Amino acid sequence: MSSLVTGCTGYPRYLNFPFDGGGRGLNSRASDLEPQVTSTYIVFISDRNGSQDVYLFDAQQRQLISLPGLNALDEIASHPSISEDGRYVVFGGSRQGKSNIYVYDRQTEQKRNLTADLQAEVRNPIINADGTQIAFEIAQDGQWDIMIYDLSGNPLKLQ
Amino acid sequence: MGLISLLGSCNVFNRPEPSATLNSRYNDQQPALSGDGRWLALVSNRNNSNEILLYDLRRETFIDLPGLNQSNVILESPSLSRTGRYLVYISSVQGRPDVALYDRATRRAELLTQGYRNWVRNPQISADGRYIVFETARRGQWDIEVLDRGPLIELDIPDGTPVETP
Repeated sequence: MSSLVTGCTGYPRYLNFPFDGGGRGLNSRASDLEPQVTSTYIVFISDRNGSQDVYLFDAQQRQLISLPGLNALDEIASHPSISEDGRYVVFGGSRQGKSNIYVYDRQTEQKRNLTADLQAEVRNPIINADGTQIAFEIAQDGQWDIMIYDLSGNPLKLQ
Repeated sequence: MGLISLLGSCNVFNRPEPSATLNSRYNDQQPALSGDGRWLALVSNRNNSNEILLYDLRRETFIDLPGLNQSNVILESPSLSRTGRYLVYISSVQGRPDVALYDRATRRAELLTQGYRNWVRNPQISADGRYIVFETARRGQWDIEVLDRGPLIELDIPDGTPVETP
């Protein structure tokens, strides 16, 4: 991203990603929410196409990257997170009142439900930059707790 | 701890020891993993106020964050860099939210959006610590703002990784 920097003002500075009314940019006429940044990508939520979906923006090329098979028409997506190499996108999906955490693999273009076996509300997932661990919130015993899974969906034993 | 010992002291009320486990009987929310997966930041109200806690998943213990949590400030939405050196979060004083950065190396916190004039929320820092994104209400709706801390900061990179000279 540093190659994009022009001008002579100092740091820290706000990077100017132009607003795009056609919905092809980082910011649109709709709400653009819950961003997460790596040195290459910005993943975020937008309802610019009429449903709340996950979007991926390449900050170096300054364009959206398509995510085939990630977003579903009958699903509300939230809280996306991406590994630093850009391969794995984790997000929360809500469908017919049921919430789950999904892992989308950009290499295989497949998404996997990580929490199908959990009979509890889950939300706010995050994948670490190395792409090895996924933390999320789970509603247990009348309160929010935190669980950590590895990429295959095995829970980490937590003290 | 026995009741007797509490009654025995006449003017000092110690707060109960915080639960030493990652999850407590209270709300433990907003998990943030460091890039290397070792550190987990979270927001917990186990000590009767909203606090950001940092848990070392390798040693299974909480780590002190000196100078971070203060009594008149609400902290929320933590995010961690690769080795957990940089912690970015929302700091609200008297109801006004700012994006803040805590450096565990210097143990200093600074507000990044002082003078920004617009409502902000949900900040996230890149693993190397250079870029920070957050939501801004600048245009009267939620948009994404990208802050570049610049090429001269100390990047959060794994030990032994050579530093590229620009």
